[in-house]
Amino acid sequence: MLLMGNEAIARGAIEAGVQVVASYPGTPSSEITESLIEQADEFGYYTQWSTNEKVAFEIAAGASLVGARSITSMKNAGLNVAMDTFMTIPYGGCKGGFVVAVADDPDAHYSSTEQDTRVLAAYAEILCMEPGDQQEAKDMTKEAFELSERFELPVMLRSVSRISHASGDVVLGDVEQGRNKIGFNKHYKVPYRWNVYGPPGARSKHEWLHRQLVDMKAYSEQSGFNEIRMVEGARTGIIGVGLGASYAQEAMQELEMHESISFLKVGIPFPLPEEKILAFLKALDRVAIIEEGDPVVENMIRVIAQCHGLDVEIVGKNAGRMFNPWGELNPDIVRKGIADFMRLSIAEDEARNAIKADIKELVTTRSSALCPGCSHLGTYWVVQKILKKIPGVHIVNGDIGCYEQGGYGEGGRKPASDEVSKKYKRSSPYETLDTIHIMGSGIGLAQGQVAAGYEDGKVLAVCGESTFFHAILPAIVNAVYNESDITFLILDNSWTAMTGHQPNPRTGMNTRGAIKPADIFDIVKSMGVKHVSRGNAFNLQEAEELLAEAVEAEGLSVLILEGECQLQNVRRNKITEGFMQVNQDTCNGCRTCVTLGCPSIKFDAVTKKASIDPITCCDCGLCTQVCPVQSISKGM
Amino acid sequence: MTYNLIIAGIGGQGSILASRIVADAAIQAGSGVDGDLKVRVGETFGAAMRGGSVASHVRIGPDVGGPLVPKNAAQAILALEPLEGLRIGIPYLAPSGLAILNTSEVMPIDVKVGAASYPKLETIKAALESLEGRVYLLDATSLALEAGNAKTVSAVMLGAWANLAELPFALEQLKEALQGRVPPKTVSTNMKAFQLGFEAVASD
Ligand SMILES: Cc1ncc(C[n+]2csc(CCOP(=O)(O)OP(=O)(O)O)c2C)c(N)n1
Repeated sequence: MLLMGNEAIARGAIEAGVQVVASYPGTPSSEITESLIEQADEFGYYTQWSTNEKVAFEIAAGASLVGARSITSMKNAGLNVAMDTFMTIPYGGCKGGFVVAVADDPDAHYSSTEQDTRVLAAYAEILCMEPGDQQEAKDMTKEAFELSERFELPVMLRSVSRISHASGDVVLGDVEQGRNKIGFNKHYKVPYRWNVYGPPGARSKHEWLHRQLVDMKAYSEQSGFNEIRMVEGARTGIIGVGLGASYAQEAMQELEMHESISFLKVGIPFPLPEEKILAFLKALDRVAIIEEGDPVVENMIRVIAQCHGLDVEIVGKNAGRMFNPWGELNPDIVRKGIADFMRLSIAEDEARNAIKADIKELVTTRSSALCPGCSHLGTYWVVQKILKKIPGVHIVNGDIGCYEQGGYGEGGRKPASDEVSKKYKRSSPYETLDTIHIMGSGIGLAQGQVAAGYEDGKVLAVCGESTFFHAILPAIVNAVYNESDITFLILDNSWTAMTGHQPNPRTGMNTRGAIKPADIFDIVKSMGVKHVSRGNAFNLQEAEELLAEAVEAEGLSVLILEGECQLQNVRRNKITEGFMQVNQDTCNGCRTCVTLGCPSIKFDAVTKKASIDPITCCDCGLCTQVCPVQSISKGM
Repeated sequence: MTYNLIIAGIGGQGSILASRIVADAAIQAGSGVDGDLKVRVGETFGAAMRGGSVASHVRIGPDVGGPLVPKNAAQAILALEPLEGLRIGIPYLAPSGLAILNTSEVMPIDVKVGAASYPKLETIKAALESLEGRVYLLDATSLALEAGNAKTVSAVMLGAWANLAELPFALEQLKEALQGRVPPKTVSTNMKAFQLGFEAVASD
């Protein structure tokens, strides 16, 4: 059966008889939990979208402490959010099988960083599994639950984008029929088991944790997921980890080196099967290590080699480097790496490359844009309009969500120079945001800028409503407490849109059904913010007035601009008709509508008139409000 | 021998669905633990947004490892949008590989705001031909409308591919996979679209 890697992980959890699922979405991990939510009724387990990864991790951990099999899934950055509890839970360990599925994102296709979370499994001293294809993704997940119960510790499953978002044929297994009993035992096997301060204290719990490594290593040593294929007489070897092993095997076949290189496939990057690796290294003079992400396994193997005084050449992403320690692997990079390692030269077709270089010029960029009818378009329009009127160099601190596109830059242009930042001149919503890092970072940075005495202009920050619940609450309290004079905008489109429209406390539903939507206005008010206002993001005049007031207000001001994600609005209300049209006679070619940044608006360089694509337009009406000569109206 | 196919387009056009249809057909044809065919589908996105470039890599064969097609190794490229065919064709099209391009253009925002220009169809065709591609231009969007639904463009493209390519499985298996994946209510429209695509390239 064709399964996406994330669906395969979900299936592994189902086969293991999972009982509790709690996650916060994040690409490329979200489909793990989405798939589990879809099948929850059929297989009978509890699910929830939590407000952030730390909370989700704690839900899953709490379930495990009372015996349930549980899973939490997250993207790379999600583990940073969960980090505090992630580091501490292993001290007491867990009871029901507890799997932490983390999808890393080498090449940062959908992420702020390329961070390699395998280091964090070693940091927390828990077992880490890394699948090489979709079948393994399922099989490892299922086994991870058993291992977690065997070692009484969480097990981390590390996926990458090219496993999670790729599909492969997967043979399904049986679904475990029994379910773990739920119960609590305060002194389960160890006194004060679930209380790191319980006598004799955290130091002794760390010792217990560290001793568990012995059993984990023994498992890693005999696990079929770590597999050696020795070639008689070969003096060179390749160690492939997870997806890296799949790429390596394919490249070796293609280069017809399969019969001359010994191969070790590593599926358990922590703890490594030291004896297996030693046996492998001892038989060889040279070894190449192929893994996605940082040289994590490579470094550990270098340590093993050094500890045992082995004189074996090791190449990978470190010294004598075969691959860059940034970006992702692909079949071409791996093939070239192996060819170089084997001192083979693969001929480049220079003539073909020259033709390619030539015709590449024709490939117009397709810059990403906010969707037609996106409420963020209206918000950014208003932000630009207000800030242009006020002299100074204003700082708009961004954040992560669909609205992060407010910092993507405009139309395939070259990077700007630092001269550009000296004057506030922005012409596109895609140039609105000045800082973007990670969820919740904008509001904190804004307070820091003000604390440093920044006076050259206004200081603003923005976030979406899902981000508000995820990471913003303590920062607002902080701004109140420390009397920070910033303007904060909450772009409330009712959905966690960026990651595929998961519901959040504002949406009016959870994974089980309808609930009353949270009231952000009341929440912000109750935190002590004096200037709180809210308006309709699709009503530009109203939004403009409210923002002008908020920016001018003394001290912290918070403005909530509401407008449902247009894609969801269209889907939910089955809107199939309606579009805007530009009157070609009265359009004066001023391009004001173009600066709204809506991808449905076209400008004809020859006729100097704007027009609107009736297929993609969804009739939100923002453009009619920005046209200075009233040339845009509903189409027929 | 691995069969590599890339279906390129824009988010929402149906390239991912089309790639799964092909993968299903391959699974029918003998993959799984005991079979000797392996199937992988890899997806590559631009900046992960709607309206951005999307390419689905489909790989079928006994020695398939990773989900991505190597450079210059795609035996066929189906482009639901011509510029996307060029974008993917340049790095991936194999010499003498087949490129079928839907002629219906979707302008990037960069072109719409006047910051860039869109290459002419003939220029795109000639560019891929300069890489020794066998290039077919097909008005798949009109054929899809003729079949009864603009959303069947990918079925039209699969039909054209089925006629022009040496399929790694039987034609019937592809048709069955198509029927199995599309929404039940649209099966006949999709089959019609497939047939229209198949026939449109027959006369060439
Ligand atoms: C720690 C972390 N978790 C998850 C994500 C994935 N992610 C990016 S933005 C976002 C939330 C977007 O929702 P919202 O704030 O409502 O903005 P919208 O996309 O709806 O505009 C999520 C979950 C992330 N980038 N970092």
